[in-house]
Amino acid sequence: MTQSHDQHTEHIAVDDPIIEVRDASVTYDEGTSYVLDGVSLDLGRGEILGVVGESGSGKSMLASALLDAVPDPGLLSGTIEYHPDSGAATDILELDTEDLRALRWEEISMVFQGAMSSFNPTMSLRKHFVETLEAHDEDVEAGMDRAHELLEDLYLEPDRVLSSYPHELSGGMQQRALIALSLVLEPEVLVMDEPTAALDLLMQRSILLLLDDLKEKYDLTMLFITHDLPLVAALADRMAIMYAFRLIEIGQTEEIINHAAHPYTRALLNSTPNLDAPLEEMRPIEGQSPAPINMPDGCAYHPRCPLAEDQCRTEVPDFHIVAGDHGSACFNWRESYDEIELVHLDDGERAIPEGDRQ
Amino acid sequence: MSEPVISLENVEVHFENERLLDFGNDPETVRAVDGVSVDVEENDVLSLVGESGCGKTTLGKTAIGLQRPTHGSVKYRGHDIWEIREGNSDADLEWSDIRTSLQIIHQDPGSALNPNRRLLSILSEPLRQVNPDLSKSEKRSRIYSLLERVGMNPAADFADRYPHQLSGGEKQRVALCRALLMNPDVILADEAISALDVSLRVEMMDMMLDLQAEFDTSFVFISHDLSNARYFSSHGNGKIGVMYLGQLAEIGPAEQVINEPQHPYTEVLRWATPDLSLDDHGEMPMRKIDIPDPINPPSGCRFHTRCPKAREACTRANPTAYEHGEQRVACFREDDTHEYWDSPELTDD
Repeated sequence: MTQSHDQHTEHIAVDDPIIEVRDASVTYDEGTSYVLDGVSLDLGRGEILGVVGESGSGKSMLASALLDAVPDPGLLSGTIEYHPDSGAATDILELDTEDLRALRWEEISMVFQGAMSSFNPTMSLRKHFVETLEAHDEDVEAGMDRAHELLEDLYLEPDRVLSSYPHELSGGMQQRALIALSLVLEPEVLVMDEPTAALDLLMQRSILLLLDDLKEKYDLTMLFITHDLPLVAALADRMAIMYAFRLIEIGQTEEIINHAAHPYTRALLNSTPNLDAPLEEMRPIEGQSPAPINMPDGCAYHPRCPLAEDQCRTEVPDFHIVAGDHGSACFNWRESYDEIELVHLDDGERAIPEGDRQ
Repeated sequence: MSEPVISLENVEVHFENERLLDFGNDPETVRAVDGVSVDVEENDVLSLVGESGCGKTTLGKTAIGLQRPTHGSVKYRGHDIWEIREGNSDADLEWSDIRTSLQIIHQDPGSALNPNRRLLSILSEPLRQVNPDLSKSEKRSRIYSLLERVGMNPAADFADRYPHQLSGGEKQRVALCRALLMNPDVILADEAISALDVSLRVEMMDMMLDLQAEFDTSFVFISHDLSNARYFSSHGNGKIGVMYLGQLAEIGPAEQVINEPQHPYTEVLRWATPDLSLDDHGEMPMRKIDIPDPINPPSGCRFHTRCPKAREACTRANPTAYEHGEQRVACFREDDTHEYWDSPELTDD
C-alpha cells in the first residue's frame, strides 16, 4: 500500500464565510478546565451547518460563544469574526454592550430548546413581537406585517396566535412562534440550540421542513445544534461533530454519513437507532465521554477508541484532510474505514472508495 | 396461547375538564383514550407510539392500574383489577399483589428518586416489601449484584451515593433496578429513554431487554420515536401499537408495522423518523401540521383532517379495526368494497 502524504490543517475553511470562529476556548477555574477547547470553524454564507455532540460535549457552549454570551464566570478567548453582507468585518468579542445588543437579534438571532422559558408567561404573543420591535427602534407596523407573514410561513394562524398567551399554545406552536419572533428583525444568521428537542418526532420533522423553506425565502444562514445526528442529517448542508469540548470532524453531510473518517463519528453512527440498519449490528459506544476536570492527554477519545496508539495518548491531532473540505481530527482516519464498518450502509458501499480519498 | 398478563377491552378514559368561571356550561370532556383493546402477554414487549397528546401515556397508566378507565375493563390474569381494588371480586388476589406486579419508570427519573436517601436505602425499600424476611446483608448483596448488572461499578461506591450524584443515564438505571426488585410482571417504561442522548439509548434498551429475560417480565414501552420502538419491540419479538387521538390506528408485529405500514398515519410517522439514507423524504405527507384538540375530535375517522388519503366517506364513520395478516388496521382502505373507494377525495380549500 502506498502511503500518500497526509495533509494537515488547523481548520477547514469555506469560500464565503459569514462567521469565522478561530481558536475559541471557554475556561472555568482560572484556566484549569476547558468547556470549549480551541474550536475553529467557518459558517458559510447561506448554508445550514449542523453541529452534533452528546450532552457535555461543549456544543451549547459553542452557541453561547458565538454571541459572546458565555455564562459567568466562564472566560471566552479566541476570535469570532462576523462578515455582514456589506461593510467591514467585526470581531464579536470586541464589541461593547450596546453594539452587542444590536448584533444579537438584528444580525444573529438565537432559538433555544423549550419555548416556554423564552416567553414571558404573562404577556400575549403580540406583546412579545411589539416589544422586540420597539426595543430595536423598528417601525412596529411594518414589523407586525412581517410577523404575520412569518407566522403564516410556519403554518400558524397569525391573528389567533398573536392574541394568545404562551400557555394557550401547544409545544409545537410555541416553538414555531418563537422561530417567527427570532426572525422578525430580519437577521442574517439563525443559531438554534436543540430547538426541537422537547417535541415529538412528527413535529420535529415538520419544523425542519419549514426551516428549510424559511432559509430559502429569507436567504438565511443557519447553525443547528443537536445531539440527534440523523435528525439534522435531513436538513444540514454540512455537519460538524464535537467530542469532549473539541471539534473532531467536519464535512458535507453526505460525506459524514457515508464516509465518516473519525472513529467516534463512525461509532456514533452505529449507535443510533434508525429504521434501516440491521438490528443485530447496532451497538452502543463503550465507555463514557470525559468530564472537563478529567480530560485525557492527547486525543480525548483515545480511552474509548479501538484504534488508539501511543501517539494518540500524547498528541492532540490536527485536522487531516480526508477529501476536499472533509476534515477529521484523527491520526488513524484511514484505518477507521476498515476497522469500524458503518452498519447503515450496504456491504458494497462500506469500503473506502478508490482514489476518492487523499 | 397462555392467558395474557394484562388484557384491556374496549377501554375509554375520559377526563372532565371543569372550566373555572364558566358555570352553566357542561364541562369539556377530553377523550384521552377512546375504545382501545390490547393484550400484554408474558415476556411481551409492547410499544405504544404516537404524537404528544395521542393518549399513549394515559393508555399505559390504565394498563398498569394507575388510571381508572371510565368505560371498559382492565384484567390482570383474567381478573378485573378495579373490581379487586374495590373488593367486589371473589378472586384469590389482593390489590396490593397486583400493584406490586405492575411497575413504572418515568421519563424523568430524577423526580422519582428521593433526593435525601442513598441508593442503598432507595433500593432496599422494594426488597423489604417483597421479601420482608431478607437479612440486611442479603439485601445488600442483591442490590450490589443488580447494580453491577446494570453497569454501575463499583456497586458499593454507587450504593453510597445520593441521586444528585448520578448522571441522567445512571438515575434511569436505578429507577429500572428499583422496579425490577419488586419482581414485577409488567414494567411501564414511559418515554424512559427519551431524555437520554441518542447515543445512550441503544445501551439502555439492550440492558432492559437483557434484564427482561433474567427477571421474566414484560414491558409496555411508550415512545414518540418509531426507531426506538422498532429496536425495543423487534428485539423482544413484540408488537408496536400506533395511537392517534385516543385510538389505535394500527397494531402488529414490530417489523411488519415498520416495513409494511398499512395505516396512512403509520406512514406519516415513518416519514417523520430520521434515518441515514439521505434520500429526499419529499413533501410532508400530511395536510395539517397540528394535531386536533382531543376535546373536540374530528367526526368520522379522527385522522381525516390531516390524512393525505382521506375521502368524503372518512368524515362520516369511524373505521373499526380490520385484520391484515397479523396486523390490525383502523382504515377503510383495508376493505376493497367500502364506499370509500367511490367517494370524492377531501381537499382543504
